[in-house]
Amino acid sequence: MGKLTNFKRSLWVFHASGGSCNACDIEIIAALTPRYDVERFGIKLVGSPRHADVLLVTGAIPRDFADKLRRIYEQMPDPKAVVVIGCCGTSGGVFYDSYNIAGPIDEIIPVDVYVPGCPPRPEAIIDGVVKAWLKIEKLEKELEGKKG
Amino acid sequence: MTWIESLTLNSPSGFWNPIVWLAFLIVFALIGYLIYSRGNRSYKPNTDQVKPFLSGNEVEDVEEIRVRAGDIYWGFIEALKGYYNALMRMHTGDVRDYILWYLGLGAVILFVLVGGV
Ligand code: SF4
Repeated sequence: MGKLTNFKRSLWVFHASGGSCNACDIEIIAALTPRYDVERFGIKLVGSPRHADVLLVTGAIPRDFADKLRRIYEQMPDPKAVVVIGCCGTSGGVFYDSYNIAGPIDEIIPVDVYVPGCPPRPEAIIDGVVKAWLKIEKLEKELEGKKG
Repeated sequence: MTWIESLTLNSPSGFWNPIVWLAFLIVFALIGYLIYSRGNRSYKPNTDQVKPFLSGNEVEDVEEIRVRAGDIYWGFIEALKGYYNALMRMHTGDVRDYILWYLGLGAVILFVLVGGV
């Protein structure tokens, strides 16, 4: 993938936890701790999807949560990207084909980056977020192109 | 005295001039427009993007979820339901009904106080 070139602002991230076992979520938090400290790059967790550029989703999505996840995605401003963290969200993981699962996340909302692992290491999560950053940068350029 | 000065209203605490007010309005409208024009153009009105975030839950109609002042008494009204139901039926909002109640109760009180003598 290419280099970050023209991203003019910090990347704000919203984390939606579906039916995760919480380990993936703990690894996301680990990325914020002093050891990894993603905030020094301006990557920050926010409390509302309406302020977010990237949506991180963990866990296989239970049926009751599917419409909520769709709504969270809809509420994010454009341009936006979705990163799935962990095997549960990527394929269903240990819950694959379970009766109460609405399916892997890409059957509910469009996904841009998959970070496999059970759970993935913080380095992998950071790498995933940077890939989403590149994607947003591309979308941003397209939007600007449309404007001009 | 210029015509602008003739429009000025002086008072002990300051002055009021509609032209100055209009000038300020134009300046602030311009600043407002500048801020607005720098906004996100890709935002889509009339979609979920403009709705409040309620943990992904559907936002109900405000009428459904608002808390009225009367709701403070909810427990009270619920506990004394029988009494309140009867009272609310009587409370029609029609002043003629109230006068009728007034006259009727007045007659009863009068009868109790002097009727038996
Ligand atoms: S992928 Fe593994 S660690 Fe992550 S939520 Fe699923 S079971 Fe837990």
